[in-house]
Amino acid sequence: MRSETLTNVIEACRFCFMCRHLATVGNVTFRESDTPRGTALILDKVRRDPALLQCADYVECLYRNALSGACRKHCVSSYDEVGLVLAAREDIVAVGAAPKAVAVLAETLERTGNPFGAAARTGAKRRAATTADVLYFVDPYAAHKQPEIAAAFLAAAKALGVKVLPVEGVDAGKALLVLGYRDQAAKAAKRVRKLVAESGCKTVVTSCPACFDAFKNDYPRLGAGFGAKVAIEHSGAFLLKVLEAKKPKISKRGKAKVFYLDSDFLRNYNGIVDEPRALLRALGLALLPFGTNPEESCACGEGAVVSDVLHPGVVSLLRARVEELADDPAHDTLVVASPYTKHVLVSGVRPLKVKTLDEVVAERIG
Amino acid sequence: MLPTRDSYMSEMIRSELADAVGDEHVLVDEAEKLGHSVDYYWMAEMWHDRGMRNPTPDFVVRPGTTEEVAKVLRIANTYKIPVTPWGGGSGSQGGALPIYNGIILDVKRLNRIIEVDPVSMTVKVESGINTQHLEWALEKQGYSTMHYPASIACATLGGFLAHRGTGVLSTKYGKIEDMVMSLEVVLPTGEIIKTLPVPRHASGPDLTQMFLGSEGTLGVMTQATLKIHPIPECRKFHAFLFKDMTTAMAAGRGIMLSRLRPCVVRLYDEPETKRLIKRVLGIDKAGAYLVFGFDGPREMVDFELARACAICREGNPEDLGTELGELWWQHRYKFFYPPFMFHLPQAFGTLDTVATFANIEKVYWAMKNTVEQNFTGVAYIGHFSHWYEWGCMLYARFIMDEPPQDPREAARLYNKIWDQAIRAAIREGGVINEHHGVGLKLGRLMKDLYGPAFVVLQGIKKTLDPNNIMNPGKMGFEGV
Ligand SMILES: Cc1cc2nc3c(=O)[nH]c(=O)nc-3n(C[C@H](O)[C@H](O)[C@H](O)COP(=O)(O)OP(=O)(O)OC[C@H]3O[C@@H](n4cnc5c(N)ncnc54)[C@H](O)[C@@H]3O)c2cc1C
Ligand code: SF4
Repeated sequence: MRSETLTNVIEACRFCFMCRHLATVGNVTFRESDTPRGTALILDKVRRDPALLQCADYVECLYRNALSGACRKHCVSSYDEVGLVLAAREDIVAVGAAPKAVAVLAETLERTGNPFGAAARTGAKRRAATTADVLYFVDPYAAHKQPEIAAAFLAAAKALGVKVLPVEGVDAGKALLVLGYRDQAAKAAKRVRKLVAESGCKTVVTSCPACFDAFKNDYPRLGAGFGAKVAIEHSGAFLLKVLEAKKPKISKRGKAKVFYLDSDFLRNYNGIVDEPRALLRALGLALLPFGTNPEESCACGEGAVVSDVLHPGVVSLLRARVEELADDPAHDTLVVASPYTKHVLVSGVRPLKVKTLDEVVAERIG
Repeated sequence: MLPTRDSYMSEMIRSELADAVGDEHVLVDEAEKLGHSVDYYWMAEMWHDRGMRNPTPDFVVRPGTTEEVAKVLRIANTYKIPVTPWGGGSGSQGGALPIYNGIILDVKRLNRIIEVDPVSMTVKVESGINTQHLEWALEKQGYSTMHYPASIACATLGGFLAHRGTGVLSTKYGKIEDMVMSLEVVLPTGEIIKTLPVPRHASGPDLTQMFLGSEGTLGVMTQATLKIHPIPECRKFHAFLFKDMTTAMAAGRGIMLSRLRPCVVRLYDEPETKRLIKRVLGIDKAGAYLVFGFDGPREMVDFELARACAICREGNPEDLGTELGELWWQHRYKFFYPPFMFHLPQAFGTLDTVATFANIEKVYWAMKNTVEQNFTGVAYIGHFSHWYEWGCMLYARFIMDEPPQDPREAARLYNKIWDQAIRAAIREGGVINEHHGVGLKLGRLMKDLYGPAFVVLQGIKKTLDPNNIMNPGKMGFEGV
């Protein structure tokens, strides 16, 4: 079992309570099992009796996890509570115990390249035939739900004089990986690598932090790394660099106040905290601290990539938590780094005012 | 007797509970039962570790209002089902364990901040709130509870109320019982009561104080009004290394007797200085490490700090300065994270005791000698962490690196160490304990501690909880 390679995490977390205040799902479901301690207790049982991998209650709990990484980031010894859940999901899939909804979702991802089962809007292969220095990878939440995000990035790039090749309709494999389908994820990764190689690009940019993390951290482990010559950037960091280099005229300078909500993949997985803030400041915006603390995940399940499809109930609780933490939810402008998070935040009964970094850049320099 | 889990009667009760709190708040899944079968009590951890079955609840019930708590308790009275309140499950005494199965009443949904009163500087809050979340919310408004326990991240306010818990700043701001203005409590029979709105009065005995420390045996605390404080202008620390614990104790006592008002005083004995201060803070020196801090207006802090340092220097210590004091403050919680905290397979226990200055060292030595002379392979370390005008708290610990593998044998040995060490402490005027509570772990020793006075507590319990549904078998009270 893969989870056995993380026995040290099980042994550390099973009786430890020190990060429960940041247990993203536990904070809204109030379940003991939705904390690193609860998960480790389950997997401690499983390692003694692997037949328990078939226990539907345990499996359900392991798939409810938002994988935000907030607890791991907080942990003084960085125990990989996220890696443990990911390993356990692979074990579950390996023994054929994945819940039906998970199996159906994985099949949809494989078949259509997106979690919604929608037909691809743009032919990937046709696009890949073109070459460019910068390849812009569009994720399903931007491609199918919020085309304005990619449009904003492309408009900003154009205004800044950067030539970009957009690619969409291709699955990055991240969702398959977090669902426990490693082999299928590796295949997807290799397809993306081929596309990148064919494009001849020197930089791959994406507005999707999950894709960014996949390209940067997962692909090399899956044998599909882009190689040292290809830089990988989140669109926020990329646009910041271009802004700093080109110093364009920033329009609409004023005292607009915004709150930045950290992305799980950027902050908790990759330690990227300053760039998005620097970008917003460079755009002349007054940045206010969101919520009551800098540690809690407000990304609404971004770490689990397709949380809203799999666990809409939990995601609506996560969204309500963001609303609760906001100073003035009806009026505040929230800026996020992730198309997924924006999609969740604007989909509630009382939609919040949310923009991605790309949209803010496009507005200010457009 | 409770209906078996597969009987239709169990479904009947579940339906009634669901009617009271909502279907989705009566949980019976295996993951949740497992999560509520182990708290921070070594015994439950060891039992789990050895592959044994811990008792699990039949139902995990999660009320969202005080009224819902009352409904659940009425149902429990009807069917005489044990109810065990559960906050964060971080208690170390087994108080939240469902030893007779029944209902776990998980209070975490009671997490609202009801009102901040800036005029009187108080906050009215529900008891299931995570204490770090409460603190963060208050800090955003410029206030603090000044309740900074090492378990701030995991425990609920209700857990601290139920255990008379304490935080690292207790020496100045008090324990939780000093911070509470008033309480709302659901009695075991389902009546909802409020205690008087202010803590200082001459209107009979203090009901608030009676419920504080009752560990879920006298009802469920659902709301509390707490004092809050402005965030101090500054907080500064200083550390010294004394040649031994006795000299350091004289310095700590000197600070308290001079009536300075440190927010923190903490003194580590020689073995703990060698073992933990080195491991966590990287200070590799022999002796007894003493750290203290002051907070408030800058001029006052500087003045008090200078006076406290002068008192310490009389004992001729090595001056570790502000930096190695600040280092302790920055890492104060690190001691509790793996791998720094003791952990299985080790057997360990916190022999939390409080006594006057006249007795505290006697208590320390009595426990140390008992543990080290009667049990081979058991180490004893300690620090003194919460200080009063009259004495202080001893956070002593025993650690056994290789306890027996057989769970029953391990349990027997563990309990024997506790019995002997605690009885030795009581003989020297020590009180078990200062802030961890009694729970399941120390219930059997309550009669030793209280003597004939324990009857008074038993009488209160019987009157308030005639069907003995609230957390039976804990605090030395009758089981099922
Ligand atoms: C790493 C760590 C460090 C710790 N450090 C400290 C410390 O610095 N200071 C300190 O005081 N303690 C400390 N503790 C012990 C523990 O955190 C406290 O005892 C805390 O008060 C327990 O709160 P909880 O919400 O987890 O309670 P639980 O463990 O869930 O319950 C404890 C007891 O309270 C009862 N209870 C819970 N809620 C209610 C309620 N609303 N009404 C009535 N009864 C209730 C339960 O039935 C049980 O008997 C520490 C524990 C850990 C794990
Ligand atoms: S991740 Fe770290 S802090 Fe969280 S439960 Fe595990 S060991 Fe404890």
